[in-house]
Amino acid sequence: MRYTDFTPHDLVLLLQGLGVSVALFAATTVIGLVIGLAWALLRYYRVPLLAPFAALLAELLKNSPVLVQLFLVFFGLPVLLETDLTPVQAALITLSGNTAAFIYVIAVSAIESVGRDQVETARVFGLSRWQTLRRVVAPQAAAFGFGPLAGLLINQLQVTSLISVIGVVDLTKVGAILNLRTLKPFIVWTVIGLLYYLMARLIAAACARAEARLRAHRQWKGL
Amino acid sequence: MIHIQGACKRFGSNTILDGIDLRIAPGEVVSILGPSGSGKSTLIRCINGLEKLDGGSISVDGHRVDDPKQLQLARRCSGTVFQLFNLYPHMTALQNVTLAPIEVLKMPRAQAEQEARALLASVGLGERADLYPAQLSGGQRQRVGICRALAMNPRYLLLDEVTSALDPEMTAEVLAILGKLARGGTTMLFVTHEIAFAREISDRIVFLDGGRLVADLPAAQFFASDGGLAQPRIAQFLSKMNKS
Repeated sequence: MRYTDFTPHDLVLLLQGLGVSVALFAATTVIGLVIGLAWALLRYYRVPLLAPFAALLAELLKNSPVLVQLFLVFFGLPVLLETDLTPVQAALITLSGNTAAFIYVIAVSAIESVGRDQVETARVFGLSRWQTLRRVVAPQAAAFGFGPLAGLLINQLQVTSLISVIGVVDLTKVGAILNLRTLKPFIVWTVIGLLYYLMARLIAAACARAEARLRAHRQWKGL
Repeated sequence: MIHIQGACKRFGSNTILDGIDLRIAPGEVVSILGPSGSGKSTLIRCINGLEKLDGGSISVDGHRVDDPKQLQLARRCSGTVFQLFNLYPHMTALQNVTLAPIEVLKMPRAQAEQEARALLASVGLGERADLYPAQLSGGQRQRVGICRALAMNPRYLLLDEVTSALDPEMTAEVLAILGKLARGGTTMLFVTHEIAFAREISDRIVFLDGGRLVADLPAAQFFASDGGLAQPRIAQFLSKMNKS
């Protein structure tokens, strides 16, 4: 057997890489959702100082390359704070922040898509600002924001491949390793690409199901 | 008692309400007539606190609308029905009606739903309680809107051109229900262009023009030739409405 041949162990490697990518994607999505929605809440309640700060932070994060942010966190932050960051920690921080920035933008526009008449009506009937958000605004905003959210998540999945650059052994890094050893780039990268494709399709399908449920009240099913 | 004293409202340099004085006592049905832009809807929006007054004061059962602490109590006294229904599109008719009783009055869900179903049945929508607004006709939607307001057991019903978005047949559906409510003793402030209906159900008729209260007369007197009709602006308005 030549060292350039594929071995059964490569499959284990691929699955491990896939696991790391999926885990990081899931974790940063959850953290990003929590932070992004919290920023949107700051804006909804017009919290002084914090609301503009969140808006500025989101602006900075969504208008600079993720790779630059990753380098800043991985190489810059340890110098500034005089600590060590593992590649996985740096990846978690960077991707969570980036996802949060885009979730914030989607949440804000989704909240604003709900008509002023809806808010006024709820308020006239005595609902508090929080009750209005929870029962009237949020369900309608969620239905509006789910399309953009699905697009964002699929994009963020692809973005996770950047973290291979700082040494996280994700699916892309596994691809690079296999490629170096086997010298069969066409096969390796096709397989890696297909795996990303399959994950993206899964995310899209899950989002479509959730969106259909949120839109159950509309007779019109879209174009 | 809804007590409006010298109410003024301006949007920029545009004066919408120009010193309105009006009292509505429990049990009264008061219709507000007037040309478009005369401030009728704005007056309703000031009573339920959706617009801030620039002068004067409004209180509902003693709770001042302009005081943020009392606004909630004032709103609890009145129920509003909107021109464009403003139903919550993501909720069924039943959920539209039960939302405020459950969230605001903390009524148990089962009780709220039972009362809501009874209300919906009383306006002929018993079968449609579980449909979404998009699945209802305009007249049906507005009947849900009326039930939603009634579910809070308001002392005053504020009706803001509730039939303006409906065709004559649906208008008749909705007016029939309002007529029943009026005869049943519900206090109503009724902004409308349905002159004949206003004449039939109202105790008093108020006429607004350019943000001023031109007349506030008992219904019979408003339409009498030596009463409201003696005023040229009212006579002109009514003759135009009758022609159309």
